[in-house]
This record gives sequence, structure tokens and C-alpha cells, in this order.
Amino acid sequence: MTAVSQRALVTGTQAVWRRWLRRHGWTFGVWLLFLGLVAYYSTLIPSFGSFQVASIVNNGTPIVFLAVAQAVIVIAGGIDLGVGGLLVLTSVTAARLMEGQSFEVTLVIAVFVLFAAALLNAGIGWIITVSNVPDIVITLGSLYVFQGIALSVLPNPGGGTSEGFRWMFTGSVRGIGSNPWPAAVMITIVVLVAAWWMGKTRSGLSLYAVGSDATAAYLSGIRAARVKIISYAVGGGFAALAGLANTAIAGRGNATTFGGNLTLNSVAAIVLGGVALTGGIGSLIAVIPAGLILFFLSPILTAMGVDPSGAQIIQGVLIVLVMMVTGLIEWRRQRRS
Amino acid sequence: MSADATSATDVDPGVEPPATRVRAGRYLATHPHLVLVAVLIVLILMTGVIESNYLSINGLRNSALFAVPIGVLAAGQTILMLTGGIDLSAAMIATGAAYVAANQSPKGAVFAIVAGLVVGLIAGAANGVGVGIFRVNPLIMTLAMGAILLGLFTSWAQTIFSGSTRMGDFIRTLGGGSFWGKSVPWAVVVWAVLAVFVVSMLRRSGFGRNLYALGDNAVATRLSGTRPWQVLIVVYTLAGLFAAIAGLLLGGRVGAVDLQLAGAFLLPSVAAAVIGGTSIFGGIGTYTGTILGALILGVLQSMLTFLGAGQSVQQILYGSIVIGLSWLYTRIAATQ
Repeated sequence: MTAVSQRALVTGTQAVWRRWLRRHGWTFGVWLLFLGLVAYYSTLIPSFGSFQVASIVNNGTPIVFLAVAQAVIVIAGGIDLGVGGLLVLTSVTAARLMEGQSFEVTLVIAVFVLFAAALLNAGIGWIITVSNVPDIVITLGSLYVFQGIALSVLPNPGGGTSEGFRWMFTGSVRGIGSNPWPAAVMITIVVLVAAWWMGKTRSGLSLYAVGSDATAAYLSGIRAARVKIISYAVGGGFAALAGLANTAIAGRGNATTFGGNLTLNSVAAIVLGGVALTGGIGSLIAVIPAGLILFFLSPILTAMGVDPSGAQIIQGVLIVLVMMVTGLIEWRRQRRS
Repeated sequence: MSADATSATDVDPGVEPPATRVRAGRYLATHPHLVLVAVLIVLILMTGVIESNYLSINGLRNSALFAVPIGVLAAGQTILMLTGGIDLSAAMIATGAAYVAANQSPKGAVFAIVAGLVVGLIAGAANGVGVGIFRVNPLIMTLAMGAILLGLFTSWAQTIFSGSTRMGDFIRTLGGGSFWGKSVPWAVVVWAVLAVFVVSMLRRSGFGRNLYALGDNAVATRLSGTRPWQVLIVVYTLAGLFAAIAGLLLGGRVGAVDLQLAGAFLLPSVAAAVIGGTSIFGGIGTYTGTILGALILGVLQSMLTFLGAGQSVQQILYGSIVIGLSWLYTRIAATQ
């Protein structure tokens, strides 16, 4: 009781600040960490300019979108090992269909791929809800299925895309340049819309409800199975965006990339972004810098003079440390309440 | 519930399934492994139809050899899944153990094997400390451990382990050799010994019961006097050891090692445990089921090879079988 009355004595502005920090502290922290890393990186290398910024933003786009895909599904209480496979599948499908086409046609193909991927992953979500088999098992299967289909779509690396389409994701018709704006604007708009949908609308909030307790959500009138399928569909759409970005950056498709590793990266990114793997907790806004940090860590460490294998070790240790910190915060919060 | 109520009030003998079918369904629900055995036999026969030479000791031996690394890795996955965990670093532990063993082979077989197993023990214990003491999510802990090991061995391959990458003769015999007129592979014997150990540990020992209890209800287990962190450290160390054994057998079969040695076996090892009916949420599962799962995957590999199926068809079929079998298994178990 004393603790409560003490807290009530805190003046108005202080209380608002505290609540804001408690709610958005992690998001704020990850953004701060990202900006700090960029600032540090700029002191490390001799010439830091728009080319370096563009390189981080453009090449980080696929992992950011894939992490958002994973975040939407994990917040709704699932986990999707297949998103990496879906990235590869959409990337090679787009590359094969877009080869030699005009910009307008490639846009139509992109929209088609986006919806096809959403529908395909919704089917996976449907299988999970109908079969009652754990998400991780079904999506382990879908990872292989997507990868296999991708290999049959494009057995050898190849395909192509239009110059305009490459510009949309990279700010350059050749896929490499010093213009970060198209990718930055696209990430911002798409993720903000998704975050608004999840945080402010009835259908989006039901994802959080189902993720934190599916039974309670069902009993309070939410169709839990349908919400789960929706989360997989939205996740599929974001995985397709990641795949399209991949095609635009490389200018071709490559089905021999193993999607499993990409999936594991997306899981690491959302954990860094503060999304709880148990579901119901997390913000898409924090996933953007988390994905970028994960991508950005190896150039920083290279600039610091660490060799790539050392960078890998440090990355792994950092992920574990972040998890220990979250565990500690959670433990303190539980003890206090 | 409503279905029960209606069938109780207006009894319609025409709708009721025949008694023998009910009994058969109930029997299957209590013995779900029979379904796996049936699937295994059907797969073997189908492969025999596709390639008549397959139904020989030589053909079956190839399937068994393919199943061994999956089955041994899946032993680790099974005991971890019982506690609600998983090991995504298993393939990298296996690779690392094989790499060290190959490197130390010039110093003698015993030293090489022990060195390889120590790699598994250390990496597994580190996983256990992370999960058991620091409460890091097992998925993330082992994922990060895999990355760390890959980094370590990539740099060590240039420095302290820059020597031989060829396995010693003894380990090569153990991994790929056979006895009794080349009919029974030594690797299968190693697997069988390990299987007896794991099955009896899970069924007969207090430690085995602790694993089931921890996966079923961690809080209740702690309140009844078990220290979960101790159990977790032991079980992750054990899983690391199994992964190292799998790596030695695989490295012995291939003959030479590189850092991609066991990577392709990680997800199949999870799949084998899952197909065998082990719940990924903990508390439910047996190693017998996992063995059947590994054998099914081994036979499937032979079948796809004989079919001359391309990589793409293999992966699609593989994924479909994981989905289909786990679905079937859940349905049968749910009728219990």
C-alpha cells in the first residue's frame, strides 16, 4: 500500500514520463542504440556519406521486412519458420516473371506476388488452426515446401527485373547507389501503417489479444482461429515484400539461398526488437532498428578490424546478452508486482 | 460436448460406427507408434517397387546409414523437447566435434574421440547454463550458440586447428564400416547402444521422470523439490554429447570434414522427433517414436534418390511429409 501511495504522490509530468518510458522504453532504447551505432560507425571509417547510409538502409530492407513478418505472427501467438522460404520463393518468382518486362508490368507482377504469398501463408495458418499441430512444426514443413517450389520455379540463379522496380527499393536503376530515400520512405510508410493497424484498430488489436491468451480472447468474442490465419496472411505479405526487395537489390533471383538461415535471422531480430516469443507483447516500430542493427553489425565490426568470423561470434554473444537483460527486466518487474 | 448429448438421447444404431472399428481406433490411440511402423513398412515396400534391388541387405543398410546421424541428433532434440527446449546449435556442435576429432586424429583414435566429445560437452553445458540459470529462451540461446560456434571454428580452422581435415581410420570404420560380411554397419550398433541408454533413462530413471515433469509443469516441479536449473544443465550437456557423437559418426562416414558437414541434418533431426510424436511444448514423447521418425526419413531419402527426383521435389515431399505425419499423429492421439 505504501508503494502505491508513494507513486500517487509523483507529480503529473513525471508520472506521464514514467508511463511513457515503461511502455515504450524498449522501442526508444533500440532506436537509440541504432543511432548510436551509426554515429560510432561514421567515426570509424574515413568517408561516411550518403553512400554508406544508402547501403545500410537498402541492403537492410529485406531483413527488416522479414522481421516485421515474423513479429506480426509471433505477436499473435505463433512462430513461422517458413518466412525465409517464402522470401526465397517470392524473390525467384518475381525475378522469373519480371525478366524483360516494362515497369508497369513489373508493378502488376509485384502486387500479384504479394497477394499470392499472403494467400499461401494464410493456407499454412489454416492448416495450423485445423490440425492443432504446433506452429513451429507445420512451418518447419512449409519452409521445405516453399524452398522446393522455389527451386522448381528457378532451378539456376537468374531472371531479372525492370530498372524502375530496382529504383523503388534501392533508389538506383542499377541497384547500387547513394540514394537511401525510396527504401527509407517505403519501410516507414508500410511499417507505420502496419503498426497503426495493430495498435489502433479492432482487427489489429485482436492479434495482441489472441497472442497473450487465445482462450480468453475466444471467450470474449474474438474468433481466435480467424485472427491467427489473418496474422499468417499479413506475415506472408511482409515476407513477399522482403522477397521483392531482395530481387530488386540483386536484380535476379537465387533459389539456392537457404531460407532457414534467413528465418533464424528474423527471429533474432524480433527478440532484439523486444517482441516476446510467448506472444502478445511487442511493437513493430522497434523491429525496424533491430533488423537494421542485426544487418549493420558486421560492417561495423569489420570497420573495427574484427574479421568476419569474429563478427559472427560477437553477434551471437550480443544476442544472448540482450536476452539476459530482457530476462532480468522481466524478473524485476515480476518481483515488484 | 453437444455431439455427445445428441448421441445419448436419440440413439441411432445406423450412425454408430461398428464396434470393431471403435476398438481399432482406441487401440491405435493408445499405441500411436503402430501408425509409424505401418508408414515405415509401406515406404519400404514402395521403395522396393520402385527399385527391386532395394529390398536387400545392401539397400536397407544405405537407408539405415542415412538415418543414423538424424537419429542420434534427434536423441538430443527429444530429451530437450521433453523439457520444452530445442537445440538449434546441434548441427554446429556435431560439425565442430567432427572437425576437432579429424584434427586430432594423428594423435590416436582415443584422443581424437575424447577431444571431439569434449567439444559437445562444453557447448552443451554452455547452452544449459544460458537456458537453466540465465533463463534465455532455448530457441535464441541455441541459435546464438550455433552462430558463435560457426565463428569460432571458422577462425580456428585457420589457426589452432589448421592441420588435418581427414578422419582417422578407426572413426572412419565406426562411421561407415560394416561387419558380418558388410551387412551390419558399426554406426547402427553405436546408435542401438545409445538408443538403449536413452530409452532406459527416460523410462526407468528419476532423471528421466524429471524431464517429463519439467516439461509438463515447471512450477510444480520446482515446488516439489527439483532444482530446474540443475536438470536443464545436465540435459543440455547430454544433448551436446549426443550431437558430438552424431558428428563423429557422420564425419567418419564422409571421411573428411568441413564446416558444412552436419548443417543439412539440423531440421531433419527436429522433424524426426516431431514425426515420432514428441511434443515441442514438452512433457510428451518417447525416443522409440523418434527412432521410427528417423528411420522413416532415412527410407524416404533412399526412395527419393531412386526416383531420381530433383532437389526441388525432394524438399516439397519432405515438407509435406512432416506436415502430413504430424497432423495424422495429432489426430490419432486426440481421439484417446
